[in-house]
Amino acid sequence: MSTARLILLLAAVGAITYLFRYSMIGIFANRNLPVWLRDLCRYIAPASFAALTASALFVQGGQVVAALDAPKPWAALVAVMVAWRTGNVFATIGVGMASLYLLKLVL
Amino acid sequence: MTQTTSSKWLEFLAGCRDEAPLQLGVVPFGMLYSIGALAAGMPAWLVQLSSALVFAGSAQLAIAQMLAASAGALPIALTAGLLNLRHVLYSASVADYVRHLPRRWRLLLAYLLTDEAYAVAILRYQRDDAARAAAGDDGGPPPRPNLRHWYFFGCGFTLWACWQLSTAAGLLFGARIPLEWDIDFAVPLTFLALLTLLIRESASQAAALAAAIGALLFAGLPHNLGLVAAILLGLVVGFTSAKGRRATP
Repeated sequence: MSTARLILLLAAVGAITYLFRYSMIGIFANRNLPVWLRDLCRYIAPASFAALTASALFVQGGQVVAALDAPKPWAALVAVMVAWRTGNVFATIGVGMASLYLLKLVL
Repeated sequence: MTQTTSSKWLEFLAGCRDEAPLQLGVVPFGMLYSIGALAAGMPAWLVQLSSALVFAGSAQLAIAQMLAASAGALPIALTAGLLNLRHVLYSASVADYVRHLPRRWRLLLAYLLTDEAYAVAILRYQRDDAARAAAGDDGGPPPRPNLRHWYFFGCGFTLWACWQLSTAAGLLFGARIPLEWDIDFAVPLTFLALLTLLIRESASQAAALAAAIGALLFAGLPHNLGLVAAILLGLVVGFTSAKGRRATP
């Protein structure tokens, strides 16, 4: 792809992304969200991050990849426990990475 | 006047502080993007520029991967667009909280509405809501002065700055990071850490579980539609589970 075409592509993706991010803020600039939409909104964050996490851990190129002897899901499990107990993002990522390195030595 | 100015900065700094730990996951993400984009043949200056233009990690990574596979412009734009479709939901989710702001603020905060900034800002807003509900407040306009948009701005700004710097760092040092370090693993760990903060009540847990299962069930859908489908499934399950519990006390 030529550089000019690439710039156009990136600008287009940037514009689409910005429109998405502004869309609902713009549409509901002067009125309240309908009640059902506001109720749904409460679950947007948990659902989005669960889907992002699950696909980052178990999906590769459109295929579900899960193996019991793969270190990453187990390291993620350790990280979840730390996250749940401490609520500390720093500790979660630190312990998760450390667990991955340890598990790679063992598994 | 001086009082409000310093409160604004306190809010801004609190946002920066709460966003900071997440940068452990953002930095590798940004560096991975640079490495991938360079490998796909993108000029370095354009790699850096794209991080400001697009400012969306997963879409940028997808663009780099598809360029490397010599995909056409239209499929790439479609995939990146669909990957970012979830931002429409984020936009709906913050709409009520930013409505009272001047337009320039809404335009700015929309630009900064990324996964990690959204998660931290929405946690703050929802915590405030919960605290006010517990205090018997009916949910009318919040007490003045309301400076929470400065907190949101602090989150967004921290992430933005870090994203630009980590893109640059990837351009400079990316080639020297050994694959065995698995720095890419920091990305799902960040999402995990955010997720656990977000699911403290049972309807949210149901939503998260359904969305996670959905992400695996719908993984095969074309054009990355699986992610959006999974999130929508999570929304419906969370919504109905909350309804069901209200109906049977």
